[in-house]
Amino acid sequence: MSALELSRVSRFYHDAAVLDSISLDTPTAGVLALLGPSGSGKSTLLRLIAGLEPLDAGEIWLGGEIASSPSRTLAPELRRVGMVFQDHALFPHMSAGANIAFGLHQLGRATRDAAARAWLDRVGLAGRADSFPHELSGGETQRVALARTLATQPRIVLLDEPFSGLDQVLRAELRGFTLATLAETNTGAVFVTHDASEALTVADKLAILRGGRLLQAGAPRDTYDHPASPAAAASLGPVNAFSSRVERGFAATPFGAVTAPNLTEGAHATVIVRAEAIVLRPGAMARLSSLRPHGAHDLAILEADGTVWQALVPSRSELGDHVDVTLQPSGAFVFPA
Amino acid sequence: MALISELSTAKRGATHHGAAFAPIAALVALACATPALAAVLFSLAPSGGTFTAGGLLVDGALGTLALAIVGGGGAVLFGATSAWLVSLCTFPGRNAFEWLLVLPLAAPSYVLAYSYASLTWAGGPFPLAIDGFWGAAFIYAIGLYPYVYLAMRAGLAGRHAIAFEAARSLGARPRDLFWRVALPLARPALVAGGALAAMEIAADYGAAQHFGLTTLSTAIFRAWYSHGDPISALRIATVLLVGAVALLVAERAARGQARFHLTRWRPMARLVLSPVACAGAFGFCALLVLLGAGLPLAWLGRLALLHPSVEDLAGPLTNTLALASVGAFATLCCAVLIAVAARRGGAARFAAFVAGSGYAAPGAVIAFGALMAFGAARDAGWVGGFGSSLALAALLWTYVARFTAAGVQPIEAGFARTPAHINAAAATLGAGSWRRLVQIDLPIAAPSLAAAALILFVEIVKELPATLILRPLNFDTLAVKAHAYASDERLLEAAAPALLIFVVGLAPLLILSRGISGPSR
Repeated sequence: MSALELSRVSRFYHDAAVLDSISLDTPTAGVLALLGPSGSGKSTLLRLIAGLEPLDAGEIWLGGEIASSPSRTLAPELRRVGMVFQDHALFPHMSAGANIAFGLHQLGRATRDAAARAWLDRVGLAGRADSFPHELSGGETQRVALARTLATQPRIVLLDEPFSGLDQVLRAELRGFTLATLAETNTGAVFVTHDASEALTVADKLAILRGGRLLQAGAPRDTYDHPASPAAAASLGPVNAFSSRVERGFAATPFGAVTAPNLTEGAHATVIVRAEAIVLRPGAMARLSSLRPHGAHDLAILEADGTVWQALVPSRSELGDHVDVTLQPSGAFVFPA
Repeated sequence: MALISELSTAKRGATHHGAAFAPIAALVALACATPALAAVLFSLAPSGGTFTAGGLLVDGALGTLALAIVGGGGAVLFGATSAWLVSLCTFPGRNAFEWLLVLPLAAPSYVLAYSYASLTWAGGPFPLAIDGFWGAAFIYAIGLYPYVYLAMRAGLAGRHAIAFEAARSLGARPRDLFWRVALPLARPALVAGGALAAMEIAADYGAAQHFGLTTLSTAIFRAWYSHGDPISALRIATVLLVGAVALLVAERAARGQARFHLTRWRPMARLVLSPVACAGAFGFCALLVLLGAGLPLAWLGRLALLHPSVEDLAGPLTNTLALASVGAFATLCCAVLIAVAARRGGAARFAAFVAGSGYAAPGAVIAFGALMAFGAARDAGWVGGFGSSLALAALLWTYVARFTAAGVQPIEAGFARTPAHINAAAATLGAGSWRRLVQIDLPIAAPSLAAAALILFVEIVKELPATLILRPLNFDTLAVKAHAYASDERLLEAAAPALLIFVVGLAPLLILSRGISGPSR
């Protein structure tokens, strides 16, 4: 049984579909990453799961019980769905300890306070029980927010871009910490992000949203290796797109043909090549118009046959003005145009 | 109260939060609207005879219209000019004038009227007579310009700062800035402030009555008490109500266009004036503060010291404090419920608007409406005779009906300052509607609640016509006492209660006006 199941969930604002018939489920434990750009509907989907908004069509099931349908929305306080907000949403008038104890009000005072202290200890903030949110750093508020949510033992935790305001180093550290804590407590999570590499890192299952539609869902490696559409491929990293035509089972590009097994002879096709699937060496096929550092790689801009391609190549490659180009089949895909 | 209303921003629909409160809010809104509705309904009843007060209605309407045009026009002129100077220019004392200019709001028009009447009466220190139509128009202009000033300040200093800087970088001269940039941009604010001032003029009873003018407000009293014709009084009240609601709608529409956002305040490079212009700006602002607050306050203080009547005032003071405390608390509770429900948007916002129309309804209209409703309830056998306790209940009801909207605005502003996801976070942690209200919303909005309570307290202290109509026999408040003395031409004795009302009214202005000037620095 899934902790969370979405069945053809739709949400409209002023007749425009913000979410259009989304069906998804999560494993009982593990992380479902929702990846999409701003306006893709991922935060709305999270709010629907939390019960903060009603849905207009479809159903949401939590632990085998129906939680949302067009006729009925179970109140958020009755769902046992935890949520960690983008701005962390700590109660500004309560100490860190009181924030964590807030969700435990059914317990006796002594038990509640002890549980709050234990959670602070667990997230490395022992001794900060009396600190107020404005006295905590960004990383500390994020830890308190996570502890506050997990303390209530939710059946699933929703994380709405919880690290977006933090710098790269702290972000990686907190991400690791959060994933470890979720795993220790055996709690399933839905993790919303617009960062493809973050989504690939955290996900046990990855769902790609765009324009309110689910482009693809599956294991992160499968999704990366077998994109369902050009848009799904582009969601996970920089790609080159080239219009072509299928001839004898192949679609031609300036840098060689790509196999097109499922397309009919003569069909128009779009060839998608991941930037990191392009291998360069000194040669004469294309002009190298630019080569600049790009994180762990260098970003190369190639010009050939009136087209411009981008490639991610090992940094400090010695390539000269002109290069030969090879496409790696694992990162090249052909779709019907 | 405009002080806060201009700063309020309503944020809606954050969570399901309001759902649980919607039915209660609807009841509160209904309770707020009932007196005004009762006034309209009973005015439609066949009066048994002919409508005897046609002449009174026409005279009253013309009087109110003329006063709204002349007095309101003066308020617009004074308010817009002072707001322009303070917002966009640099001159000595500008920082102090930012908040000094709102002080005339402390005194209700009737207090200013009593003060100026005694200041300028025969044998007084000023031979210039402030009396009759022009006297009332002067009192309104000098007492109500802060409504326009506040609206314009918000309109000029808010999101438009960038437009002024752009215009100046494009070479606009000060005159062009005023006519081609400031005025067009601030026009909605001007309309909103002007409409508020006109509403106050239409609702005023004390000053118009003191100067012997026939306005719709005084005509209601005359028809009811002098002609003994309640139906005519209610018909006049209905006309007044329609006018006031029209003004309210104009104000809301204009304010909607203006969209004042407190968060967008930013410092702005101001125009540096020439020495002569500096002197002129200083003199103009100083004169407004002096005429609107300084002079009447000092004069009332002098009279009160010369003619102390402490033993006379102990009872009214106690009554006033008790009535205003209980009334403010009841009104605050209603305002909280409406504000909480209104966050949900939709129908609850309509409830807020219905409650808001109570604010447009002048005190006299609401009080007579409540009186008619109670009369009908008594005829139906639902309540007993109109004894003291019932009269007090009716009075509290009219305060709730009239002032709930004034409380809703600052509370909504307080709620809007709550960080976006706080309420949703509490819900996902298992807190139900009431627990979220009590443990999250109210503590975070506590400063706004305190401000709202203070505003409501002062509004009730200042309220005259409803208190006059509905108070139990021999139950005097400061406002009633001042009015009674002034009606008997005993202006010396009226000074002490009038002064107390003025001083009580100053308190929230001094506390809250810092919030207006604060963010712009």
